Amino acid sequence: MTRGSDGHTSAGMPDMAVRPASPADGQVLGALQRITDAALAYLPHDRLLDELIARVCEILEADTAALLLLDESRPLLRARAARGIEEEVERGVVVPLGEGFAGRVAAERRTIAIEDLADAELVNPLLREQGIRSLLGVPLLVEGRVLGVLHVGSLTPRRFTAAERDLLQLVADRAALAIEHASLAEQQRLAEALQRHLLPQDLHAVPGLEVATRYMPASRDRLGGDWYDAFEVAPGEIVVAVGDVVGHGLAAAAVMAQLRTALRAYAVEGHPEAEVVARVNRLMCELGPDATTTLVYTVIETQRQRLRVVNAGHPPPLVVDPEGEAAFLPLQGGIPLGTSPLASYRAAVHPFPTGSTVVLYTDGLVESRAEPLDRGLERLRATAPGAGGIETMCTRLVRRLVGEDRADDVALIAARVPPLANPLSTRWPTDRDVLADVRQVLRRWLRERSVGDDEAYDVVVACGEACANAIEHAYRPGQHSFEVHAVEQDGRIRIEVRDRGRWREARGVNRGRGLPMMRALMDAVVVEDAEDGTRVVLERDVSRPARAGSG
Amino acid sequence: MTELARVVEDRRGGILVAALDGEVDASNAADVGDRLRLALGNASTALVLDLSPTRYLDSAGISLVFRLAEELDARQQRLVIVVPAGAPIARTLQITGLGGAVAIHPDVEAAVAAAG
Repeated sequence: MTRGSDGHTSAGMPDMAVRPASPADGQVLGALQRITDAALAYLPHDRLLDELIARVCEILEADTAALLLLDESRPLLRARAARGIEEEVERGVVVPLGEGFAGRVAAERRTIAIEDLADAELVNPLLREQGIRSLLGVPLLVEGRVLGVLHVGSLTPRRFTAAERDLLQLVADRAALAIEHASLAEQQRLAEALQRHLLPQDLHAVPGLEVATRYMPASRDRLGGDWYDAFEVAPGEIVVAVGDVVGHGLAAAAVMAQLRTALRAYAVEGHPEAEVVARVNRLMCELGPDATTTLVYTVIETQRQRLRVVNAGHPPPLVVDPEGEAAFLPLQGGIPLGTSPLASYRAAVHPFPTGSTVVLYTDGLVESRAEPLDRGLERLRATAPGAGGIETMCTRLVRRLVGEDRADDVALIAARVPPLANPLSTRWPTDRDVLADVRQVLRRWLRERSVGDDEAYDVVVACGEACANAIEHAYRPGQHSFEVHAVEQDGRIRIEVRDRGRWREARGVNRGRGLPMMRALMDAVVVEDAEDGTRVVLERDVSRPARAGSG
Repeated sequence: MTELARVVEDRRGGILVAALDGEVDASNAADVGDRLRLALGNASTALVLDLSPTRYLDSAGISLVFRLAEELDARQQRLVIVVPAGAPIARTLQITGLGGAVAIHPDVEAAVAAAG
């Protein structure tokens, strides 16, 4: 609230109305009312600026007026509204901060008056071309930040009075508040829209994975740079990642958008995870210094039950094993993305048995003003295990770890590969694209039953043939799905594929190879073709690998 | 979403060596076939289809290989398949009798030599 050089205080509307701007004569009071007119608040942003400029010209009997706003990312002032010198806006006049008249007002954050321009240095030749002789400029300030500059000019030499200076500052305050409100509202609208689009909404669609997420920006009206994502990168391999872009606002959100796209693109191209991160790093370096980002990139291998992790300067992932033991993965040395194009990243591999949960988060979850980071991490480790699923876990973490005083955004994503039941019952849409997903689930189920790779392959192929047939012949109305049931008992696998169509061995496409393959790969194959559908039962004895110590 | 299978091409003179990386089933066999035919063109004398990186091949994929064998034969182009010894897909290929229709070699070099 404190203003720098001139010692005034700037605040909301009520404060301005009572400020002793000048001797209380009726003229000034009338002027004040015109500037603080509540009706102005209902004008759209641009029209409000035009209207304020017009009124200030009338009140101060000025020949020209201009309002310039500071660029969001560069030290430049851009003309936004003008009167008498409309070309300023039309020509898109830009004034570097610190240079010329407006540039000096902004840089020095103080009122500047020039009685005669004849020998003043001006960066904007427009002012002189227009024949302006005298200028009065004030900074637009909100909470000590410079938003821009408002100046008025006279075509005849003129000495502005203290009351006129105060009045112009009052208009500047009014404009600054309006701009700030408009920009906050715009940022909030953008923040919500961006975060809606940037943070994936449909993570539940990742097959074979439970995902829970939480996102809490530090303040409602500011864009955060925290981000998470989860997607399948190869059959049975699922990427779960969290990143934290340094800074806030639109710039951070833009970096976040690029990061998300780049990460997905490089990952789907099939690069190893360390290479994916290295490529994203080089891209971030090219985007400039605003693109510094910490990232933890994990790939869950659902079948091999491992977790591959690449860390770029991010807090360590937490893994809760199926027994409920929680431990942080060891920190790796990778530096944040966008720091150096030469940075190298390495993947570490950790066991991730089915039923484990990996928790990725941004530092807002574990950092608070009141405690050291170690305490926050320990609280996370102690709080994560507990009753209920991962949604309950996330709720618990947020309730116990995120304080009222948080200064930073919080992003949290927990992912768990649930153990598959025995017997297993699944239902699938009759769409060829689900064949790969059926195989994923079946492979994992077989691995969890300790079936060896070669035998598992045979069972998966046989089941795949039965499923493909169920899908190919899904021509009846209402026949949208088929079912796969699997049970293992005493070393015998029994799989049943049920659909509501008639069994037909494909002729044109597969040349009748499906059924002979099933018979060759399994011990027993039964096809029951009934009026209400087809049931294919596949059975095979599997030799379980010897357990340790049993020879 | 993810691509189930990729065709990685390598040319050795008139021979196209195409590695089938990934999984082939009823959802992508036709697409894989189109990509192979496009890569092969008329100028190639032979196709070496490298199934070493193929992690899954069902009857739709096997039928594709049979069909390619017929098509190439009709155009007097040779087809040679690479299947490493002990690969899971070797058993399914054996069941379908593909070895009777197409020459199968355990590695790319042997296959290229046979195709040349």
